[in-house]
Amino acid sequence: MNAFRRMLRSDSLGLALVVLLGGAALSIARPEFLTAYNIDVILVGFCLTVIYALGQGVIIAIGHMNLALGATGCLVAVSFGGAMQVWGLPVWAAVIFGLLIGMFCGFVNGWLTHKSGLTSFIITLATMSIFKGISLGITEAQPFYGVAESVKAFGSDRWGPLPETLLVALPIVIGLAVFLGRMIPGRQMLAFGGNPSAAELSGISRARMVILAHTLSGLLAAIAGMMSVARLQLASPAIGDEWLIASFAAPVIGGAVLSGGHLSVLGTCLGVLIVSLINQALVMLAVDPFYVQVLLGALILGAVGLNRLRESRMGNAPVLRLS
Amino acid sequence: MAALNTVQTPSPRPGERDAASAASRRLSGIFGSNLVGLLIAIAVFVLLFGFFANGFLSKVNLYSISRSIGIDGVIGLAMMTVLVTGGLNLGLGAIGVCSAMGVGWALQSLGLPIAVSMIFGVLLGAALGAVNGLIVVTTRLHSFVVTLATMSIFFGTMILLSGANGFNALPRVLTGFGRIRMYGVVSPLLLIMLLVAALLFYLYRYTALGREMLAAGANPFAAKLSGLPVERLFVCCHALCGGIGAIAGVMASLRNGAIVPSMAGPLGADWLLPAFLAPVLGGTLLTGGGVSVSGAVLGCVFVEIITRGLYMLQIGEFWIQTALGLVLLGAILLERGRAAMALQRSIGR
Repeated sequence: MNAFRRMLRSDSLGLALVVLLGGAALSIARPEFLTAYNIDVILVGFCLTVIYALGQGVIIAIGHMNLALGATGCLVAVSFGGAMQVWGLPVWAAVIFGLLIGMFCGFVNGWLTHKSGLTSFIITLATMSIFKGISLGITEAQPFYGVAESVKAFGSDRWGPLPETLLVALPIVIGLAVFLGRMIPGRQMLAFGGNPSAAELSGISRARMVILAHTLSGLLAAIAGMMSVARLQLASPAIGDEWLIASFAAPVIGGAVLSGGHLSVLGTCLGVLIVSLINQALVMLAVDPFYVQVLLGALILGAVGLNRLRESRMGNAPVLRLS
Repeated sequence: MAALNTVQTPSPRPGERDAASAASRRLSGIFGSNLVGLLIAIAVFVLLFGFFANGFLSKVNLYSISRSIGIDGVIGLAMMTVLVTGGLNLGLGAIGVCSAMGVGWALQSLGLPIAVSMIFGVLLGAALGAVNGLIVVTTRLHSFVVTLATMSIFFGTMILLSGANGFNALPRVLTGFGRIRMYGVVSPLLLIMLLVAALLFYLYRYTALGREMLAAGANPFAAKLSGLPVERLFVCCHALCGGIGAIAGVMASLRNGAIVPSMAGPLGADWLLPAFLAPVLGGTLLTGGGVSVSGAVLGCVFVEIITRGLYMLQIGEFWIQTALGLVLLGAILLERGRAAMALQRSIGR
């Protein structure tokens, strides 16, 4: 009974059921759903989405938000492409350059949020516009086409039936799960998200936690941005434009609590799978793509409502705080 | 007692921040420093651009500035009405576009008279806003995630219903109205904005409803204890935001001469920056309970002058977005600094 109850309480069981049932229903309705091509499409999308969804997730975990996630990814993608095309840097140097830019963007967000004591919403709204403006300014809204062949190959090659990008996505997912579940800074981050004042009283540095989470988010956005370059085979300044909704939807569906303190990596992965399943289902059933938007919106509302309900069932007084 | 707990939602974190903002509110009431600072900044930039940007003071440019101030001003004022609650409305653009499309539908498909269609549009906007408000107060979720979801729902539904087709056979009177030039430089859209601002100023300064909204936003818990219907007031704020957003949507369509679903970008997200810039520059508190209508208007004037001036200097229109982001960042940091100083001064007294 106890084990059963624990399973019910876990974020992932219901979600896994939804994924399985949805997949089963879809493959009955449309047998071509289970073709290798289709699964490949879902996996390729999954690899990208899961990275930026986790990038938002670590911010949600400390009760903040990052509107500049897509703009950071965009700036990194553009600088990555520019470093290869204009400066002629080798791929490894361009990758490091991109990662550094992403981390710097995240650091700026975290530092400003901490120093000003304002909500991260307004800070990241401002930096979103700054980062996006810079990426549009240096490219003049034209993509860089001079992406190295090895990067293009990474985006399009298959490793058996699996896309090569999974080689990046999987370690990140596992690494983050270990970081948040087993490592001291990760545990401290979640503790800080759950109750900042209590965490501070027990000696966790507020500045370090805020900056750590935002820098991590910038790093993940950078990886997602460069992965988009590999996938699109060009560095377009439109990368990151439509990350925002999905980046909130996946962690929230996965059980993340918006007031902070809780993030399930596995749940987020399942959330991404659900989102891509819906996308795929609507494509296969030839439904208007705008239904995806309506459904995603409804899904976010439903998921946060459900999380709230579960929270109060579990006896945790809902602490609402969005800074 | 259970009812007392219902209003935690938008309340900011207790503690030093409240004290700081309360102090800054008191002091900015005394010095009005925001407004004076903005006026000086506006004057300086007008002079600068007048000297260095060719054609900045030309009639065509001034007219175009006045039209943009009209539209973006109403967008900013709409956001301000919901910032009062300490929340926000990401879906403002989506509501604006949806309502404008509703007006187009009433005009073209139903053949209703112009006045009736306009009223229908504003009511539609207010209803969509009220939906946001109702969800926020019943679920007690933060308005950020609620409006993130409804933005997607509203916009998607609108596209599905309209088939992404705009309405471009507007009556002559309307398309002509968008092009009227008064004294060569003033667009009637600017006058509409001033009218909305005047009504809001009256609401927050002289009516019980407006004062109650401010009180509920400043400290929902205390307001609840003093017997205010905080939930109902919050729903009113969101509905007001939707209604004014609808006016902005119609105004933007009048400028374009047609009602198109893409006029505010994907999901109406292009309105976000102007929506926050004007009230935040004007000194409206993000934590709720403090508004400055004249500040929002001046903030919007400031933003339009910077935008247009940089545009005329031909620094490349893409860099303008960066500049606006820096302006927003500078403004909020300046406001923080002033609040901190105000707190120090109030302690030292």
